[in-house]
Amino acid sequence: MNKDRIEEAQAEALEACKAAETPEALEGVRITYLGRKGLLPAMMKGLKGLAPGERAAAGRAANAFKEAVTQALAERRRTLQAPAPVAGGPGADTSLPGRWHRLGSMHPVSRVIEEAVRIFGEVGFTVAEGPDIESAYHNFEALNTPPHHPSLDPQDTFWLDSGELLRTQTSPVQIRVMESRQPPVRVITPGRCYRRDTTDATHSANFHQIEGLHVDENGGSLSDLKGVLAHFAHEMMGPEVGVRFRPHFFPFTEPSVECDFSCHVCGGGGCRVCKFSGWIEIAGAGVVDPRVYAKVGYDAERLSGYAFGMGVERIAMVKYGIEDIRMLYDNDVRFLEQFA
Amino acid sequence: MKVPVSWLRDYVACDAAPETLAERLTFSGTEVEAVTPVEAAFEGVVVGEIRTVAPHPEADRLRICHVYDGRTERPVVCGAPNAAAGVKAPLATAGTRLADGTRVGSAAIRGQVSNGMLCAEDELGISDDHTGIMVLPEDTVPGTPFAELMGGPDSILDIEVTWNRPDCLSIIGIAREVAALFGAELRLPPVDFEEQGEPVEALARVSVDAAAACPRYTARVISDVTLGPGPLWMQRRLMLAGQRPINNVVDITNYVMLETGQPLHAFDYALLEDGRIVVRHARQGEALHTLDGVARPITPEMLMIADARRPVALAGIMGGAGSEIRPDTRRVLLESACFDPGTIRGTVSTLGLSTESAYRYERGVDPAGAEWCSRRAAHLLARHAGGTVAPGVADVYPGQSPPRRIRCRYERVNRVLGVAVPGERVASILETLQIPVVARDASGCTVEAPSFRRDIEIEADLIEEVARLHGLDKIPAALPQARRAPGVSNEAVYAHQACRRSLIGLGLHEIVNYSFVGAEAPSQFDAERRAEWIVLPNPVSADYALLRAMLAPQMVDTLGRNLARQVGTAALFEMGRVFRRKPGTANGETARLCVGLLGPAGRGALDRRRPVEAEEMFLWLKGCIESLGRAQHVPDLSMRPGRTAWLDASWTVEVRSGSHRIGVLGVLAESIRRERRMAEPAAVAELDLDPFVAHAFAAPELRPIPAYPGVARDMALIVDEAVAHETIDGIIRQAAPPELTRVSLFDIFRAEGIGRGRKSLAYTLYYRSAERTLTDEDANGYMARVKEALRKALNVEIRETQ
Ligand SMILES: [Zn+2]
Repeated sequence: MNKDRIEEAQAEALEACKAAETPEALEGVRITYLGRKGLLPAMMKGLKGLAPGERAAAGRAANAFKEAVTQALAERRRTLQAPAPVAGGPGADTSLPGRWHRLGSMHPVSRVIEEAVRIFGEVGFTVAEGPDIESAYHNFEALNTPPHHPSLDPQDTFWLDSGELLRTQTSPVQIRVMESRQPPVRVITPGRCYRRDTTDATHSANFHQIEGLHVDENGGSLSDLKGVLAHFAHEMMGPEVGVRFRPHFFPFTEPSVECDFSCHVCGGGGCRVCKFSGWIEIAGAGVVDPRVYAKVGYDAERLSGYAFGMGVERIAMVKYGIEDIRMLYDNDVRFLEQFA
Repeated sequence: MKVPVSWLRDYVACDAAPETLAERLTFSGTEVEAVTPVEAAFEGVVVGEIRTVAPHPEADRLRICHVYDGRTERPVVCGAPNAAAGVKAPLATAGTRLADGTRVGSAAIRGQVSNGMLCAEDELGISDDHTGIMVLPEDTVPGTPFAELMGGPDSILDIEVTWNRPDCLSIIGIAREVAALFGAELRLPPVDFEEQGEPVEALARVSVDAAAACPRYTARVISDVTLGPGPLWMQRRLMLAGQRPINNVVDITNYVMLETGQPLHAFDYALLEDGRIVVRHARQGEALHTLDGVARPITPEMLMIADARRPVALAGIMGGAGSEIRPDTRRVLLESACFDPGTIRGTVSTLGLSTESAYRYERGVDPAGAEWCSRRAAHLLARHAGGTVAPGVADVYPGQSPPRRIRCRYERVNRVLGVAVPGERVASILETLQIPVVARDASGCTVEAPSFRRDIEIEADLIEEVARLHGLDKIPAALPQARRAPGVSNEAVYAHQACRRSLIGLGLHEIVNYSFVGAEAPSQFDAERRAEWIVLPNPVSADYALLRAMLAPQMVDTLGRNLARQVGTAALFEMGRVFRRKPGTANGETARLCVGLLGPAGRGALDRRRPVEAEEMFLWLKGCIESLGRAQHVPDLSMRPGRTAWLDASWTVEVRSGSHRIGVLGVLAESIRRERRMAEPAAVAELDLDPFVAHAFAAPELRPIPAYPGVARDMALIVDEAVAHETIDGIIRQAAPPELTRVSLFDIFRAEGIGRGRKSLAYTLYYRSAERTLTDEDANGYMARVKEALRKALNVEIRETQ
């Protein structure tokens, strides 16, 4: 037996020690390797047949073998002989419920917003906020909304006696940011929005949005938009989630697109969450319409930029499998504590 | 917009499967929401002619018709009131499967043989009409397979047209998209007809008095029309597109509207005073009965079509009953016009009346196309209503404008899309969309925006066309480059997140409530500041009448709702905005924090059965807010007795940071909790959020770790109930030397032996010096000073325990 074979045998012997579950089995291991008719004596005998150069190395390996196996046997023996743990000795009931106050939980709407802040924060977006009560200028006109667009209808928007309104989107914050800063701009605007929808399983007159805006002298193209939303999809819904884009219309972007995420539940095969389409509509987005830059005094020729927006409740619903948006505003503790 | 595929194929040479059409349209921006197959194959149904009708000997309501099917006559039992000799109707032969799935048999009905069945429209799945058998045109040939008249199986594309593309509210508009997508030829339908008789100028005079609201008005006159049902194939198409056939003239106007997107209106010429058409705004006191039979209140900003005397139609929305097409109409004035979208929209929203026509005008109709569409309708009227078209057209066109020329720079296309699209490809995409390229060079091309594409105004609009036709999937997703914009920070957001996490760490669940509350929801909480509440002029429901001015009312409701669902213990918080109108200022928004406790939230698991008391509810909440204050580094957080309408007067404190009042905290007033069926005390705090986030990341002022050991001394004080802990604490701190580091209350005890109205408070006092180890003598001396001061100030009995 040369040195390599001996080392192999040693590994095998140590493994056998570990595997022995009873003192009897362990004794069997000892006999196999160290016993009078075991492997070690055979090994020693075999040394004589080796070439002189190999013999010294093999001899050292054999000694190491003996030492290691002896030690492993002793250790294993101690473990096997130790008394088995008994649950609860006299007066010591370790099965009693632990005592420390329990943590609370974060509302799913906040969870989604906080995650989005992190995800977009990692690629350079900071958060901007604005008022819930907005001017019609910031909410519509500055965003290039045509004066007869249906969204201006009192049927759809909460107008106040003051002539202001409850913002229908968080895009007005983007206008406020562009009014107050020079490019480059890279912000996300999470916040509460309002539309005169009758409440049902998927609509709520009060909801949350996360919008984003990136305006720059280089970058800010449709290709960059695709990249950022793909990054978001992977981080928020899972690395295997894909994104696809469909052309659409929004007043303040051109081209405008809608963005679908492949269903994180079924992987695209179709299920209840994605209504058996394999895709879930998540975001509206597009390249900022140059007419919007004109409103805020930016030089449209020098710049390009994209914007996107998505519903927080919708993401929370598909991510956590919540079937009725009203659950999010019901605040039943038995629902909330599951988000601990 | 419902588009029957067979109809679409009339205008575009593309035989792609309906699903393929749907996919390509959707991914180029014309979203097909559904593809619905139309099964009606009408197998076994032929045209039958009723030759004779005889009464059924056994049943009053039934009759025996002898029906000629093109080869022989057969008896058919029929109950329809309109079955009469000479009538041609669909005959379902034995074995035909009807729309409801039943099969037509050949059987005796009440003892009489019936070989087949004469069908009503609903039985064939054409419509839901069951008033009688479906009467076919007189010239229909008996024995003709019904499918030949009606068209075979079909598919309907259900298309959601975006607001900017009114041109796609038409079959031809969709065909244009399909032609561009598939490189197929666009085929426009015929518009030819013979002109006869008096010229139109002799019959009709059109004037437009409101040019801004009516860029174009055209009128043709068609004489000698014969009213009757429209051709079957047209009826069938209208029905597939979701419209109800009415008569040939009205059907043709509707058909051409669906075909071209141009709304048309047919007036009975004889009912127009003086053959006059005046497009003008309404006058004070005028009234109009629209053809749905409703008297419409008319206001001066509404646009009218009037004759010489009175309004005869709500322009672009609905005709008037006084000039509508009747069975005896012989001469028709055909309107094909363009109206201003805003004017139409205003009238639609004032009257709450929308129509297919108004829907298109609100979004914009192509003025340049109006005359062509009029010709198309005249062509059909001549063919299918027997009309003769008067020579010429009355055409008033104040809104005519030259086509817009727009430059499309290839470099800008590449910049916006982030991918290189070759210049030739850009130009060819635009051309396939019928956007003519009038000039081109190496750096770009110049196009003329077609009149039917009102949405194309600037270069960005052309880039959008290129993107959607080139294919968004061909634009690569660039890896995001993390680059911060200068001078901005996320610190404020992270401070909010830290506050939220501190609250969660304290064991509280976060809740989120609506910004809306019911009209009287805050009246028990905030009635004296009612003037500041912001009332919504158009709430969605009475429960959402106000913007919330504070968070506590919803918190209390949330606790009550949970209790009603047998959730007896709850510790909740909400961070949210509240809204108040301060006199003389704009609508104010403030971020607030509300915390609510219900049940034994502060007790260990083994001690939750005992009812909770007001004092412990109060102390839990107080401790919770103090902990939060420490976690968020609120400067000088303090509490002192306070008062507010919705909290129990005995257990209310005002919370301060330094000298700023930042909110209130206490046990909920009994009347409020009883109303919500809460049997035990609950505690609620309503606070400004800013102090809890403003210093979130403040660096601590570090103190050295003590070098010398300290000494602790206990003492119990028996005092009157009225003596507050705060008072004792104050006396101790004042009397003790600077070596006093901490005063800790460790027991409160009340018993007979102590005396009525007395309580025992046990304190540990900790002393430590920064310079040396304190001795027993030192501590004894300090305690003596403290006790003396206590005795002097209070009626106190002191027991030192060591
Ligand atoms: Zn799925």
